Amino acid sequence: MSSVALPMVRISGVTKRYGRTLALDDVSFEVRLNELFALLGPNGAGKTTLLHILCTILKPDSGTASIDGVDVIASPLRARQNIGVVFQEPSLDDRLTVYENLNFHGLVYGVPTALRRRRIDELMQLVELTAWRDKLVRTLSSGMKRRLEIARALVHDARVLFLDEPTVGLDAQSRARLWQHVQALRQKRELTVIVTTHYIEEMEGCDRVCIIDQGKILGDDAPAGFKRAYGQQIVRVVAIDEAAASELALAYPDLATRKDTEIILKSSGDAFAESLLARFAGRIRKFSVEEPSLESVFLSLTGRELRDQAAGPRERTYQFGKRGGEHTR
Amino acid sequence: MTDLSLSAPAQTGLRTLLGGLYAIWLREVKRAVRDRGQFVGGVSRPLLWVLILGIGLNPYFRGEIYGEVRFVVPYTYLQFIFPAVIALNIMYTSVQAAVSTIWDREFGFLREILVSPMPRLIVLLGKVLGGTTVALFHGSLVLALASFADVSLSAGDIVRGLSLMFLLAFGLTSLGIVIANRIRSFEGFGVFSNAVILPLYFTSSSIFPLDPSLTAAQTKVVYPEWLVVMVQWNPLTYAVDSLRGAFIHFNQFDPKLGPIVLAVMAVFFFAIAWRDFQKV
Repeated sequence: MSSVALPMVRISGVTKRYGRTLALDDVSFEVRLNELFALLGPNGAGKTTLLHILCTILKPDSGTASIDGVDVIASPLRARQNIGVVFQEPSLDDRLTVYENLNFHGLVYGVPTALRRRRIDELMQLVELTAWRDKLVRTLSSGMKRRLEIARALVHDARVLFLDEPTVGLDAQSRARLWQHVQALRQKRELTVIVTTHYIEEMEGCDRVCIIDQGKILGDDAPAGFKRAYGQQIVRVVAIDEAAASELALAYPDLATRKDTEIILKSSGDAFAESLLARFAGRIRKFSVEEPSLESVFLSLTGRELRDQAAGPRERTYQFGKRGGEHTR
Repeated sequence: MTDLSLSAPAQTGLRTLLGGLYAIWLREVKRAVRDRGQFVGGVSRPLLWVLILGIGLNPYFRGEIYGEVRFVVPYTYLQFIFPAVIALNIMYTSVQAAVSTIWDREFGFLREILVSPMPRLIVLLGKVLGGTTVALFHGSLVLALASFADVSLSAGDIVRGLSLMFLLAFGLTSLGIVIANRIRSFEGFGVFSNAVILPLYFTSSSIFPLDPSLTAAQTKVVYPEWLVVMVQWNPLTYAVDSLRGAFIHFNQFDPKLGPIVLAVMAVFFFAIAWRDFQKV
């Protein structure tokens, strides 16, 4: 392919407001051909809004976005030929069968009959749904439905696959299987994948991770790069009472993040952990040292833990903005 | 090279549009066919209206006018309401077809359609044609009762009737979608559609005639003026009238009026539905 050097997806200066809430604040990034690109951030960070803009169902207030050189704002119909989308909420017709859902998609995207049939068969095999071909979708499990949606998104010549929180609501086994299927598809055909998630452990297998919080891009790098730059050993301490916790937090004002009696400290190495233990031994109930992971990267970038949803007023406003952003009703 | 690898760009132009239209139409029809409840309604409604109401009121469909006892119109009551029951069955089914719009919105399928390269006009047209097809089928079910109602049909009558029925179904399905776009819940839609369908039906001169042998002044003496006005302003009056023209060759109004009103309804409601759909 000649387009290797060109970015497959390009977003530049995209801003989107819902009322007074700034959902996206001057967001820019590029995704290269064949990349598995992850957008990581807590709920309400603006990931879905960004995805909806790329999927042409939402217009930004300012900025531009293009997919394979096609401007998604100026020519949405043409851009849609190049994308396959799996939304956060299921979007299958559960009164149609597995095959009928796939065939509907193929027809609507203008895939020629013979190719459509062969491709549907192959995709059903790949996501292990061949045995369910003529079953109504409502009889499928949620993991199977997700797999079917991914297969459906690729019935036409999608060059970019968008997965919006594809593993939410799935058990661990189904999640692992879903990622295997995505990887298998990428081996079979040229495919750029953009995935949003708030499960940090799923990001390790991605080529590049973009961390987004409160509508802003905080960083954009390979997982390993992030870990090198920001990944820090972390010491997690649970103090025996409030007083001990306060004292501990006061002792390391620059390094500590406190939540009740739990304190998270950015560690500078084993010596730090040891000195802390020596100083507060007896007043600590739990003590653990965590090696650099994307979790710790996120913590050092945002000052918050990803699963930390104890939302302040600002976060609540964002949540509201997100709900207000239910633009497809 | 497997079939999954990227092939030549998808076929474009008219063939794609027609393929998409077909897919959307087929989906609507399949969903309706698989919904047993709809079919039961489509069969039971005409039986109820023709068998029970029709037979029950048949002997009373006579009046004394200037001392002479005769049918109010030169037809039995069964014959008289037969075309109206067709209209009723089409009304219910058409408006119900729009429930799939709410369904799509609530259960996410709308997004699958919105990110597809199909223009919105095609999506809407496919949906309306799908609903129209099902409604037309339900309307045709009533025709099976024709001989029972002593209505004899020629092939020409049926063709004329079916094309009028198509126009009616198209207009009402569009109306259903317009309503569905303004209503958030399934329950609300059920209540609202009944609140629209039944009054429209009852005031369309479907179950009682405005006696044609009376002058306009006499009509207003026999019937209260508000009722006459409602009947005359109800577009369905002319739809039912045109179906009567086709099936029993009886018109209470100018026969040319019916098809015109039907066509205007179809175009008007579809245009509003399209305007709404562009905002989705």
